[in-house]
Amino acid sequence: MPKVFNWQINREIEYPYEAAPPKKQFAAVFDINKCIACQTCSMICKNAWTSGRGQEYMWWNNVETKPYGGYPQGWDMRILSLLGPQSWDGNTYTGKTLIEAALERSEGRTVLGWLPEDEDWANVNLGEDESYGLIEGGTYFTMPHPVWSFYLQRICNHCTLPACLAACPRKAIYKRPEDGIVLVDQERCRGYRECVQACPFKKVLYNVATRVAEKCIACFPRIEQGLQPYCTVGCIGRIRINGWIHTPQEVDPENPVDYLVHVRKVALPLYPQFGLQNNIYYVPPIHVPPAYLRQMFGPQVDKAMEAYRQAKDDPEMLGVFLLMGATDKWVEKFRVRGDEVMGYDAKGDEIIRVPLKEPIFIRPNFDVVRQVFRHNTT
Amino acid sequence: MALRRFFPYLLFVIALAVAAALANQGVALAQQGPTLTSKKVAQVPLDPKASVWGQARATDVPLTPQNIAVPRLNEVSISTVRVRSLHDDEKVGFLLEWQDATRDARASHPDEFRDAAALLFSLSPDLPNICMGAPGQLANLWHWKADWQEDIDKGFQDVVQAYPNFYKDVYAGVSGTPPYQAPQDFSSALAQSYFIGSSAGNPLSQFEKASPVEELVSAGFGTATHKAAQNVAGKGVWENGRWRVVLVRSLQTSDAEAAPLAGRTEVPLAVAVWNGANREVGARKQLSSFLTLSFVERAGLEGAQLAVVIAVALMVVVAVGAIWLRRRPASAA
Repeated sequence: MPKVFNWQINREIEYPYEAAPPKKQFAAVFDINKCIACQTCSMICKNAWTSGRGQEYMWWNNVETKPYGGYPQGWDMRILSLLGPQSWDGNTYTGKTLIEAALERSEGRTVLGWLPEDEDWANVNLGEDESYGLIEGGTYFTMPHPVWSFYLQRICNHCTLPACLAACPRKAIYKRPEDGIVLVDQERCRGYRECVQACPFKKVLYNVATRVAEKCIACFPRIEQGLQPYCTVGCIGRIRINGWIHTPQEVDPENPVDYLVHVRKVALPLYPQFGLQNNIYYVPPIHVPPAYLRQMFGPQVDKAMEAYRQAKDDPEMLGVFLLMGATDKWVEKFRVRGDEVMGYDAKGDEIIRVPLKEPIFIRPNFDVVRQVFRHNTT
Repeated sequence: MALRRFFPYLLFVIALAVAAALANQGVALAQQGPTLTSKKVAQVPLDPKASVWGQARATDVPLTPQNIAVPRLNEVSISTVRVRSLHDDEKVGFLLEWQDATRDARASHPDEFRDAAALLFSLSPDLPNICMGAPGQLANLWHWKADWQEDIDKGFQDVVQAYPNFYKDVYAGVSGTPPYQAPQDFSSALAQSYFIGSSAGNPLSQFEKASPVEELVSAGFGTATHKAAQNVAGKGVWENGRWRVVLVRSLQTSDAEAAPLAGRTEVPLAVAVWNGANREVGARKQLSSFLTLSFVERAGLEGAQLAVVIAVALMVVVAVGAIWLRRRPASAA
């Protein structure tokens, strides 16, 4: 099996195909701290792509409450326990990736995985708002929170080394060379569901009416028009931003995703130990005990949380965070000038300008024009 | 005197040579696998329960797990399939029978897999060295699917059939009344646009099926491709823990991707069976080695019977030789 370098775990891994990087790689940063689990992202995605017959149970985008929630139920706990202990030496992962574990165990599969049963998909938001631990009398908040939960926003990770693609015996899954979006060839798929078993995030799903697999398409028809995906623009909490991510050797500090991931290292991939070099990056929730987050986001999570705490005093970082949800267009580059952040499209034209600090207007209690008192109620 | 003295040795050497030749032929026959003799009848039936199938000699074919290519099946869940063949002037038919305690005739849940069976023919004169053919050694597959059979027998197995208490009130472009039935209530262009697999022309995603048997061509693992021309009819029935599946095709074909059968006396073919309850799909299957389909009903010994005769002959020869050697006068030693 060829060896390819995975920078997220800082070593070479085994993968069935040679490295074939796309011209550009679709990526996103989700700021977990700002999510309120309103599910607008889930609904906009469902309305756009999965409201058809046979797709009823499908959520290409879902938001679940950690630690207990999961769609499908227990997706994370199931694969973590299958994989066994996962060890790191500094920033280098020394345990087995999903493909290495499958090779070692010789069970006749390319990727360590499991197939969710019907019931696992049936309760999409089970565990919502369930906290870890009981609130005793007299409990008060400290950092990290003694009793905690947080929301995890999940779409397909459009991995650089996808498990679904590795597992498909028919080569019916491919990465688009132009943008690295991972797609299931709807003409070639025969519904074997090897991809459903292999994807640890369970973001390839079987359409029960067309009897083939489907998955998040990263709203590629929008991206082709210079727009960000629906889940990003629909987010009322403004927690998401898309961009093209580079490898650590080719970082563009004016690219918003590169900046958050590589320059400030404030956003991290989910379960990098799976070895897939996933391309959705998360700003870890700073109120959650780091032990849980280290398993989830790797050993760099403490530094990421520390960096995030500086954002309010750091105009550049603050600027990128303020670009989230500020435009439906794809932001190729950003610049902070004075007390404003500007976003630019691929041609270099300014597409958005956001003040770093919202201007405050204080309206007098009495409106002299209309000769009325202003009230907060209508 | 000299001839008489050396006669036993001469006989022994000749017997050994004959035994070696027979053994060689036996090995060659064993490699070819068992022979499946196709019986000529007036009309090949499509019905697996037709009594005329009783006229065909049954061949029990052992199955082994597909463990060459990943994804593999590690252990068989079905160890043997009984195969019969009939032909008439125009058609050839096969009856496959196997034990399967569960009838898996749907693939309409995310964790539900169908039962299936297939025949593989080689499109090249020499046998393909791997099961699915190889580049330059194309294979023609006849793949019967239990879910396609169910769609044909009972109508398309939609969400409402798979989930009996299912209800959803609205879909884009839908007609009729909730909870609706595909495909008829989803015939508008808008409703159809959500059936991506169907719109892309995927044969697995078509609601209407002309036959429960899909005809494919392949050039190795992972290459099975739906043929432009579909010419295999079939019917499968499950009763009392046993599938009986018939596959029928015209002997004559002008299709370059279809196995040539007319005018041939012997045709190699292989069988595969999938057990849906064991989540067997694609390469996760049990299959036979090549067997020989013979359109000529031979009178003589064949296959395994011949191997037994060879073995007995070999033992007799060695025994006779040993007796001769032991009878030699002591002075001759």
